[in-house]
Amino acid sequence: MVDLSLLSQAIDEGDREKTVQLTTEALGAGTNPQEIIIHGLQVGMAVVGEKFSDGEYFLPDMLMAARAMKAALEVLKPSLEKTGIPTIGKVVIGTVEGDMHDIGKNVVATFLSGNGFEVFDLGLNVTVQNFIDEVKEKKPEILGMSALLTTTMPVMGKVIKALEEIGMRSSVKVIVGGAPVTQDYANYIGADAYAHDGGKAIPVCRQLLGK
Amino acid sequence: MAMTHKQRILAAARGEHLDKLPFGARIDVWYNYHSAHGTLPEKYQGWSQTDIIRDQGAGAQYRFFSVVKEEYQDMEVVEKHDPPYITTEYRTPLGNVAKKEIFDTSEGPWIKYEMEKLFKSEQDYPIVKYVMEHTIPVDNFEAFYKLRDEVGEDGMVMTAAGGLWSPVQRVMREIIGYELFFYELADHPAEVEELMEVMKDLDRRKFEVAMKCDLEIFNICANWSDDIHTPVFRKYFVPWFQEVCDLLHAHGRLAMAHTDGEMRRLNLFFRETGIDIAEAITPAPQTLVSMKEFRRELGDEVTIWGGIPSILFEPMYSDEDFDAYIKNMFQEMAPGYRFIVGMGDNLPFDGDLNRVRRVVELIDRYGTLPIEV
Repeated sequence: MVDLSLLSQAIDEGDREKTVQLTTEALGAGTNPQEIIIHGLQVGMAVVGEKFSDGEYFLPDMLMAARAMKAALEVLKPSLEKTGIPTIGKVVIGTVEGDMHDIGKNVVATFLSGNGFEVFDLGLNVTVQNFIDEVKEKKPEILGMSALLTTTMPVMGKVIKALEEIGMRSSVKVIVGGAPVTQDYANYIGADAYAHDGGKAIPVCRQLLGK
Repeated sequence: MAMTHKQRILAAARGEHLDKLPFGARIDVWYNYHSAHGTLPEKYQGWSQTDIIRDQGAGAQYRFFSVVKEEYQDMEVVEKHDPPYITTEYRTPLGNVAKKEIFDTSEGPWIKYEMEKLFKSEQDYPIVKYVMEHTIPVDNFEAFYKLRDEVGEDGMVMTAAGGLWSPVQRVMREIIGYELFFYELADHPAEVEELMEVMKDLDRRKFEVAMKCDLEIFNICANWSDDIHTPVFRKYFVPWFQEVCDLLHAHGRLAMAHTDGEMRRLNLFFRETGIDIAEAITPAPQTLVSMKEFRRELGDEVTIWGGIPSILFEPMYSDEDFDAYIKNMFQEMAPGYRFIVGMGDNLPFDGDLNRVRRVVELIDRYGTLPIEV
């Protein structure tokens, strides 16, 4: 029986090889893949997110942890074909139109995936219509939008207005973030939540879903 | 005779005591957007940026990249324009590398974004190194002097010896890309470090050319924020800044960094760099650091230029909110020396231009130095 806390630790250390090795061993020892994800990988990711928000870890630490997580999921993929990866909610996420910055958004997307969310990453320079179409199609519980420029952050407000206009505003929680965005601005445009950084995005999204 | 805006900004940058706070305003995002959309206010239709800032009563802050241009030898460089995209291919004896950029100022910002980075995989290291080693810096002084003459004594043209980035930052952001850079640094540290050294050598050659230009302040690095990663900053960035600052100071020049991001971690290392001016300082509510903390952490030997987060120009903040913020900022910066009022880092496209004049009026009323608490 593999000690899943060692797996959490490997994720915390961003050690891709060790994470893959421990995941393979756990699987070989007959551990349920969903157990491996929930009690091993996701616990490690949560620790990394907290350490980032507390100022102990840096963005690259999160990237390395996310890379290790991704590699472990590849190992688990064949075993999860029947059951799928356990998810706690669907998130559509993207950087708004006119904005070519995606580092922060990528980290949030990866971390959400690593923490049990099913993530549909629309990439960068996403138009209002594209957000709306994806919300209609994917029916996510959460829509996440990112903007790094004061020039582009008003697009987030436009998306919220467009959701109102088509009567879908109440069906999805909207979370916003990015360098110039503040809690006041999130309130101003009518978003449901704001996260200052990738680490905070996870607990905020969980809170939005009451999980 | 009264000092000009340029003289006042330079004096504050050098740590000289002034009678009141200087102000250098940046409005290029707002100006580019409204010029492209034909929505400049009626009064300002057909006006230049400098004339608008002059009319608002502030000093102008311009960007220009840069006093040194890059030319290439022993390779073919093919540029294809398909607006708004520009694809550049470097054909070298070792193989080819290419990048794809997007450039469109109509929405405000004017920098190029790389949609595709030059570096794609480990095989590209020798080719990228070859490109940098065969890049020849040549002067671009005339274009700079032309803009500087246009601005005259009404403000400062901020420029650099190279592009936007310092060498390591260029490898991180422009050549490899942020995420891949950290993966590469973990997987192939020797190759990444070698590329950094090649980039530093190119910048040393650029500075050799640039020192012949009578530029007072060199912007030696842009877009700082905590995501640079403190350990990487300390190991790779700080020694470079120290080297460049020694060179600039030996020639009587000042060094500046465009520090408009979240700085709560990098502030601690700023003083180690020797950089004289932290420009585009962006405090709370846009970041987690207050102006008081910036002053305390950067110390009295660094000139702070900035202080007004661009979000404050947005309509969500009333004039009363804006005034209260500015007055509080003056108090936080008391006694106010080594401080140039400015924006972090620009007037947004939907920002209120007339708040530039408002800052000028608030300086007249509350910005007399020394500011008393």
